[in-house]
Amino acid sequence: MVENTKCECGHQNSIGTVLCESCGKPLFDEHGTSLLEMRYDGVARRSQKANPTWIGRIWNFFSSVKVAVYLIVITLIGATLGTIYPQENTFINIDPSTYYKETYGWTGHLYYLLGLSRTYESWWFRALLFMIGTSLVICSLDRVLPLYRALSNQQVRKHPQFILRQKVTYTGDLPIAANRPRQDPAFTANGHTAENEAAVQWVNEMAGILRKKRYRVRTDGTALLAEKHRFSRWGPYINHIGLIVFLLAVLARGIPGWHMDQYLGFPEGKPVKIPGTPYYLENEKFSVEFYSPEEVPKLKNKDQVVPKKYETQAVLYECVEHCGASVEEPVLKEVARHNILVNEPLNYKGLMAYQFDYRVTPQLVSVRPTLKNKQTGEVYGSFELKMNHPQETYTVGPYQLTLQRYYPEFGFENGEPVTKSNEPKAPAFVFIIEGPGLRQGGEPYIYFPREIDKVNFGQDRINAELGSRLELSVDSMEDVKISQFTSYLNIRVDKALPYIWVGAAIFMIGLVMGIYWQHRRIWLRIDGTRLSLGAHTNKNWYGLRREVADVLGKAGILVDAKSLETGGTVRES
Amino acid sequence: MKKYRKWMQVIILLVIAGIGAFAIGGSFASKDDPVPKAGGQAPDFSLPGLDGKVHKLSDYRGKVVMINFWGTFCPPCKEEMPDIQAQYEKWKDEGFEVLAVNLAESKITVQGFVREHRLTFPILLDEQMEIRKKYGVVNYPTTFFIDRSGKIVWKQEGQMQESFIERQITGLLEKM
Repeated sequence: MVENTKCECGHQNSIGTVLCESCGKPLFDEHGTSLLEMRYDGVARRSQKANPTWIGRIWNFFSSVKVAVYLIVITLIGATLGTIYPQENTFINIDPSTYYKETYGWTGHLYYLLGLSRTYESWWFRALLFMIGTSLVICSLDRVLPLYRALSNQQVRKHPQFILRQKVTYTGDLPIAANRPRQDPAFTANGHTAENEAAVQWVNEMAGILRKKRYRVRTDGTALLAEKHRFSRWGPYINHIGLIVFLLAVLARGIPGWHMDQYLGFPEGKPVKIPGTPYYLENEKFSVEFYSPEEVPKLKNKDQVVPKKYETQAVLYECVEHCGASVEEPVLKEVARHNILVNEPLNYKGLMAYQFDYRVTPQLVSVRPTLKNKQTGEVYGSFELKMNHPQETYTVGPYQLTLQRYYPEFGFENGEPVTKSNEPKAPAFVFIIEGPGLRQGGEPYIYFPREIDKVNFGQDRINAELGSRLELSVDSMEDVKISQFTSYLNIRVDKALPYIWVGAAIFMIGLVMGIYWQHRRIWLRIDGTRLSLGAHTNKNWYGLRREVADVLGKAGILVDAKSLETGGTVRES
Repeated sequence: MKKYRKWMQVIILLVIAGIGAFAIGGSFASKDDPVPKAGGQAPDFSLPGLDGKVHKLSDYRGKVVMINFWGTFCPPCKEEMPDIQAQYEKWKDEGFEVLAVNLAESKITVQGFVREHRLTFPILLDEQMEIRKKYGVVNYPTTFFIDRSGKIVWKQEGQMQESFIERQITGLLEKM
């Protein structure tokens, strides 16, 4: 069936057009009196075609607002399902295949089996979001382009049907016309005959009044089109662009390296590698301050302490050589330094380190023992001895020390020396010392940095004769480095965040545009002495009626604003 | 004009479909690496060894590999070491390899132990415990038996008897 879409004014409209794009004459229900449907100015949606191909069908599906609403509702229901039990990613270390069953019983297990424990990462949830995004794009494109075209090509002189079937209308005889003898009632479009000189003049006067109200006015003889705040019509579409940017940014988190969120412990004085990055972070010093009891009076438990301030003096290093699996020690270069406080993270090129927690973990980091001659008191020198990965050889004065054995937590097991853990809780070092007065090939010397271990394990007894000649010991606490705390930091990377903000900002701009302004239009035409006026807005009809009444009043037609709703009656004064 | 519009439609749909494939496909790929289990492929890794070389698991493809996570601070780890050494000597020429991953101990400590027990198989140093985490190892010792195709056949937590090790190795060596 071929639909006749040609208007009597001669304009060829596309299929689906409700109001002629040129003169505004209704193409359906031509003789009706009901109000006109002004959505999208009555233009056809871009995709409304007579015989769509399969591509057209896909396009039409997503172009439907009804489909969009269903998609949103389904997504909301899906999102709700994800809140029944906690999602997997809210736990740091669980085995979901058993956790849900143990904690929530068979319903929990079913929840896990259905994949609802990962609702928001599931393919179907992502598919729904993706379809909403697609629908946003296609719905917008299909409406904004024809609307733009229709608004750019507006005719000034509209069909009387179009004007009088608006929601706000006024018809009446012009006050000027009443004073003149009617000469030729025949109406000629754009005809500048004598009889409508006055009408043209009246229209021009009206144009001036409307311009003062900041309307943009176009006239065509005895017809007029006044329009303001058209830009507010683009608000929803700008809003949609913001949403799409937002969705794309969230999606971009899936690009490798764009998103990271992990919790790591950093003992003082030891650079720790941040997995998945070339960076190492060292906690140089951690400090915590507590409120004094006077500062927090309302504590139930008197002994409870409330922390006031956590601070991690952090240094960030970048590995520049021998990173990854390498026999050599990685070469680190300092790239950033920051004192991390709560809400004051370290930020280096988008890598953020937030203060999260701390623990008291007193541990030796290194000592600086001095080698002395026990008999003469002569000091040969000192060297730094690390508890973590100590170096193998040390030269002190004329002596050469080679580290033979290292036990971080020294102890005996079946009479054998062993280490009980990998933490330097009771470190013991076995050196072979070579130098003047010592046997060829060196002599063994055991060294306990902690005084208590030295006494308990009998360092002097083990070292026997050598121990009476040479002594390795620290002179003061200044030569001892201790790590008091382990600071726990939340390491985050979110490269998508700026784009999320941009999306949100665009969204907001669109929203404000659409909400705080209204697109108002006033059409009028004079046929003989008869004035027909119609006005349309997308919201705030009350404001529009008042404005129309005000403008008419200034032009000499006193009319009650309320009466414009029903065609307008001249106020009896 | 009509044709142009149709092409625009196709192009827009194609771009959207591409983004959609990325979005939905991502939900399958983004699952965190699951803890390796028997039956699954052994995740590849490279670690520096005590011998001064970098060892890569996939370089041992074609051999039966036993990955043993251990530390000198762990008595059962130490106790099974001589048994592992004995089995290593017995089967290494048949295509058996041991990769003993040490758990972030100081090199000196490991060296002392290795020298004392005369261990000859590669000792790898997992300084940042990355491989331990990757393999989800929480109890020591933990041992993975990997067949010639790189598949995990058995995961053993706790100390192993020599006979058990031998059974595992011979079973895997027979399979081609």
